Amino acid sequence: MQLFFQHLINALQWGSFYALIALGYSMVYGILMLFNFAHGDIFMVGAYIGFGVATALAALAAMSALALPNWLILVLTILIAMYLTSFVGMLVERIGYRPLREAPRASAAITGLMIGIILETGNLAILGAQRIRFPSLIKTSVYDIGGVVVTNKKIMIVVVSLVLMLALNEFIRRTRWGMAMRAMAFDYVVIPLMGVPLNTIASLTFALGSALAAAAGILFAVAYPVLDPYIGITYGWKAFVAAILGGRGSVKGACLAGFLLGFIEIFVGAYLSSSLRDLIAYSIILLILVFRPHGFFGEPHSAKLRL
Amino acid sequence: MRKGLLLVVLILVVGLALSPCAWAKAKTIKVGINAPITGDIPKVGEGSKYAAEMWLEDIKAAGGLEVGGEKYMVEVIVEDNESKPESAAKAATKLITEDEVLAIVGPQASSQAIPAGEMANNYGTPMISPWSTNPDTTKDRPFVFRGCFLDPFQGPVVANFIKDEFGFQKAAVLYDIASDYPKGLAEVFKEAWEKLNGAGSVVAFESFTTKDADFSSQLTNIINSGAQFLFTPQYYNEVALIVQQAQELGFKGPIVGSDSWGSAETVKLCGEACYGLFFSTHYAAAGATGATKEFIERYEKKYGYTPDDVGALTWDALRIVQTAIESTGKLTGDLEKDRMAVKDALANIKEFDGITGKMTFTPDGDPIKCAVIVRISEKGEFEFYKSACP
Amino acid sequence: MVNDKSAVVERANTRFGWFRAYAAGVPLLAWLLGALVAVLLEQTAGDVLAAILGLPKVPVLFGCMIMLKEPTLIPSALIFVALIYGAPILLLGKVLARPGNWVAARLMSWPIAVPVILHLVVLYAIMYFWSDVSLYRMLTLRLTLIAIMLTLSLNLINGYMGEFSCSHPGFMALGAYAASTVMVGLFVNDRLFGEALLPAFLGPFMFPVALVIGGVVAALGALLIAIPSFKTRGDYLAIISLAFLFIVKSMFENLQFLGGARGIKGQPDYADLPTVFCWTVLCIWIINNFVRSTLGKALNAVRDDEMAAEAMTVNTRFTKMVAFLFAAFWAGIAGGLFAHTVRFINPGTFDLKRLAELLAMVYFGGLNSVYGSIVGAVSINLLGEMLRPLALYKWIVIPLLLILVMIYRPTGLVAFKEFNVRKLVQPKRKPEEEV
Repeated sequence: MQLFFQHLINALQWGSFYALIALGYSMVYGILMLFNFAHGDIFMVGAYIGFGVATALAALAAMSALALPNWLILVLTILIAMYLTSFVGMLVERIGYRPLREAPRASAAITGLMIGIILETGNLAILGAQRIRFPSLIKTSVYDIGGVVVTNKKIMIVVVSLVLMLALNEFIRRTRWGMAMRAMAFDYVVIPLMGVPLNTIASLTFALGSALAAAAGILFAVAYPVLDPYIGITYGWKAFVAAILGGRGSVKGACLAGFLLGFIEIFVGAYLSSSLRDLIAYSIILLILVFRPHGFFGEPHSAKLRL
Repeated sequence: MRKGLLLVVLILVVGLALSPCAWAKAKTIKVGINAPITGDIPKVGEGSKYAAEMWLEDIKAAGGLEVGGEKYMVEVIVEDNESKPESAAKAATKLITEDEVLAIVGPQASSQAIPAGEMANNYGTPMISPWSTNPDTTKDRPFVFRGCFLDPFQGPVVANFIKDEFGFQKAAVLYDIASDYPKGLAEVFKEAWEKLNGAGSVVAFESFTTKDADFSSQLTNIINSGAQFLFTPQYYNEVALIVQQAQELGFKGPIVGSDSWGSAETVKLCGEACYGLFFSTHYAAAGATGATKEFIERYEKKYGYTPDDVGALTWDALRIVQTAIESTGKLTGDLEKDRMAVKDALANIKEFDGITGKMTFTPDGDPIKCAVIVRISEKGEFEFYKSACP
Repeated sequence: MVNDKSAVVERANTRFGWFRAYAAGVPLLAWLLGALVAVLLEQTAGDVLAAILGLPKVPVLFGCMIMLKEPTLIPSALIFVALIYGAPILLLGKVLARPGNWVAARLMSWPIAVPVILHLVVLYAIMYFWSDVSLYRMLTLRLTLIAIMLTLSLNLINGYMGEFSCSHPGFMALGAYAASTVMVGLFVNDRLFGEALLPAFLGPFMFPVALVIGGVVAALGALLIAIPSFKTRGDYLAIISLAFLFIVKSMFENLQFLGGARGIKGQPDYADLPTVFCWTVLCIWIINNFVRSTLGKALNAVRDDEMAAEAMTVNTRFTKMVAFLFAAFWAGIAGGLFAHTVRFINPGTFDLKRLAELLAMVYFGGLNSVYGSIVGAVSINLLGEMLRPLALYKWIVIPLLLILVMIYRPTGLVAFKEFNVRKLVQPKRKPEEEV
C-alpha cells in the first residue's frame, strides 16, 4: 500500500508537467483550431530563460548586499521567465500563425514545427553543445511519512502547477479577456465582427500558453535539473496527445488528461513493465479514444467549443 | 536583362581570374571525421571535432606528416551525421568518394557506425569508430576498427570490482532500453553478476526510454527490491538525474557506472550527489601522467573544460591513423592502394601507446586494452582507483 | 481563392516570361535528351573541365557544396554548372524541339504505354549516368527516390484525404522490419536469425515478395488505427496515429529476436538504382491512378465536405479506410527499400524527427499533388545534402525556407495540380500556333 502511495505521488509530479504543457496546446487548439507544434520547444526556451534569469538573480544577490533568499529568487525566476517567454509565444504567433490564419490548418502546424526546429538549432548554435545544470535554488528536504518519501520540491511543484491551473481557469471564467477568449472559441468568424479584436486575442492565447509552458519548464528544471536543447520534443508531442485527449479546447480536460497521462506512464512502468511502458501506456490511450473518440470534454460533430 | 547578363559574365570571369586556383595540386593527406554535430548527442560531436582540431594543430606544427621521407600536408574534413543512420552512411560515402579521404574517424555511436562502416568496408576505406561498442560495427569488416573496449569485457570488470570491493549479493540495474550501448552493457553485466552470485541475484532489472527524465517508478521498485547497489550504464545527463532521484527517494547503496560516465559533464551536472561513486572507464583524468596529462591540459586550456572520454578516444584514434599512415612507408598517390596499405598497417599495430591505454587490434578490428575503475573524489575529480586488464 | 491563384500564376508568368517564351514549344522528350547529353558530357569531359576551372573535383551536387565551402570557387563552380548542365539542356532542348515534337506526335498514335516507357527509359538513363559519377550521388539519389514514395503516400492521407496523420514513420518501420526479417532471415548468415535458409541466387526474386510482405504488414498496422479513427471526423487521427507511432517504436525496442535497440544489420544489397527506380515509378503510377479513380475523387469529396459527400452516397468510412491502408502499404514498401539501402535499421531510425522530416517534405512540395510530392521530396533531400557545409546552420536555413513557402504559398509549392501523363509526354506547340 505504501508503495502505491509512493507511485501516486511520483505520478502527481510527473502529470503536472504534462498538464501544464497541454494547457498551452489546448487553448490554441480551442480558440484558433490550430496545432501549435512549436509549443514543446517554447517549453524548452522557457526553461532556458529561467536558467538565465535564475543565474543572473543569484549573481546579483551574491554581488550586492541585497539578501535575496533563495525561495524568493525562485519565485521571481518563475514570474520573470513567464513574462519573457510569453513574448516568445507572441512572436511565434506573429511569424508562424497570423499570416496563415486563412490557410489550411495543417500548414500552420508545419510552420510551428519548423519554428520549433529553429528554436532548437538556435539554442545549440548560441549556447553550444553542453548540457546545462539548473541551479538548485532550494535545498531538498526529504520527509518520510510512513514509508512514503516526499520531498519539498515535489510538494512545491504540484502546488504551483495546481495554483497556475486554477488561476488560468479563473482568468478565463471571470475576466473580460477570458470572456472574449471563450467567445472566440465559440465562433471565431462572427465574434470579431462584434468588435472583439481577433489578433489581440490570438496573441493573448499564445502568450498565456507560453507563460504556462515557461512555468512548466522551470518546475521541470527544478525537479530534473539537466537541460538540453532537445528536451521539448518528446514532452511536447506527449502533451499534445494529452491536450487532444482532454477534448477540444477544454481547460479542465487538458489538465485531467495531462495528469492521466502521467499516471498511466508511471503506473505502467511501476506495476507492469518498465520496458514495455510506452507500448502499454499508448495502447491504453488508443483504447480510451476508441470509446471516447472526442476526448473527455469534447463534443461530437460541433463547431461549438468550450473553454 | 542583357546588361545584367553581361555583368554576371564579367563578374564570373574576374572572379575566376582571382580564384586561388589549385593549378598545382599540393600533396595532401585527407582524414575524414564523421561526427554528430547536430541531433541527439551534439556534445559528442563537439568533443570529436575539438580533438581533431588539436591533432591537426600538432601536425601543422610539425610541418606536415612525414611518410617515407616526404612531408605531406594534412587536411581534416568534419562531416555532420545528424545522429541519423542514413545520414551517417551518406556522410561516409561523401568523405570516401567526394573528399577522397585516406581514412575516416567516426561515427561515434553504434547506430551510425554500423551503416557508415558498411560503406567504408564496401568502398575499401579504413575507418575507426572511437566509441562504438556494438560488435556488429567491426564484425566481418576488415576495413573497420574501433578504439574502445567491448561490453563483454567491461561488464565482468565492473561485476568483479563490486564483488571484490563491497562483497554485495543483490544487484539492481537501470538502463535505457531504446539505446544500444546501455542495453548491451546492462545485459552483459547481468549475466556476469549472475555468474558470480547465482541466478536471481539481479533483483531488479528496470529500464526506461531515451529522453525520459523521471525514473521514480523504476527507482521505487529498485529500492523496494532490496538491492544493495545500483548499476546504471547511462550517459552523464541521465546519470545526474538518476543519482539525484535515487538519493531523494532514499536509496542508500552505492551507484556504479560505466565508461559513459567519463565526462567532465557528469560532475558538472550531478554535483555533490555523485561524489564518492565508482565507474569503469578508459582513463582517469585526475592524476594522469605523461601524454595523457599533457593532452588533458592542452584541451582544458583551449576549450575550457576537461575532455570527455570521447575526445580522448578520438584523439587516440587519430594518432593510430597517423601511426598507420607513417608506417606504410610510402604513399603511392593511388588512393585505392594507399587505403589498402593503411588498413594493413592498422591491423598490424602492436602495443600502440595511446592516452587511453596500450592497444593491439584483434583480427576483428577490436582493440585489446585495459579498463580502469575511477572514483569521483570529494573535489569532483576522476581519481584512479584500480585497473583491470584482459 | 481562385482569383488569388490565377494572380500568382500571372505574376510568375511575367517574372519568368522570357524563359516561358523560350521553352514554349519544347516537348519533354527534348528536355530529357538535352539532360541525357548533359550527363554524358559530364561523364566524359567533366574531369577535364573541372581541372581547367581549378575545381578539386566534379561538383557533386550542382556545385552547391563547393560554393559554400570555398566562396572563391563560386565563379568556377557556376561556370561548370552552366557549361555542363545549363548549356546542353537549354540549347539542345531548343534545337531538338522540332524533331522531338515530331517523334512525340508519332508516339502518341501508339498506346500511351509506349511513349511513357520511352520517356522513362531516357529518364533512367539520365539518372544512371548522373549517379555513375560518384557513389555518393548514387546513394543520395536512391534515398531521394525512396523519399518520393514516402512523401507521395503521406500526401495521400494529409493532402488528398485532408486528415493529419503522424504514423508514417511507424508504417515505414513495420515495412522495414518485415522486409528485413524476410531477407536477412532467408539469405544472410547472421547473429539474429542464424544460417541462411535459401541459396543466394533466389534473393533477387524474393526481394519484391519481401517488400510486398512489408507493405502488407504496414497496411495491417494501419488497420489498427483506421478502425477507431474513422468512426467520426475530427482531429483524433492526429493523436491516434501519434500514439501508434510510440507503440510501434516501443514494440521494436522490446522485440529481442528482431535485435531490440541494436537493430538489424546486413540486409542484402538488392535495393540498387534500377530496383528503387522501378518501385518509385510503380508507386507514382499506381497512386496517381488511384487518386484519379472514382475512389480518389470520392476521397477529395470527403475532404472538402464529409456531410455532403455522405449525402451523395459516398461511403466515407470505407473510402477513408481504403486510402489510409493504401498509403500505409506504400510507406511499408518504401520502408523496406530504405532498410535495404542503408542496410541497417534500428527503432530509433523511425522517430519523431523522421516524422517532422516527412511532414516537411509533403507540405513544402504541395498538398494534393503528385508533382508536389516529387518536388518536395527532391528539394528537401537535395537541400539537406547541398547545404552540408553549413553544418549546424543548415537546420536554421531549411526551416526558414519552409516557413517562407508556407507563408507565401500556404498549400505548398505545386499544390492541387493533376498529374496527367498524357499531357506530359505529348508534343508541345507554341502558344500562337494554338490560336
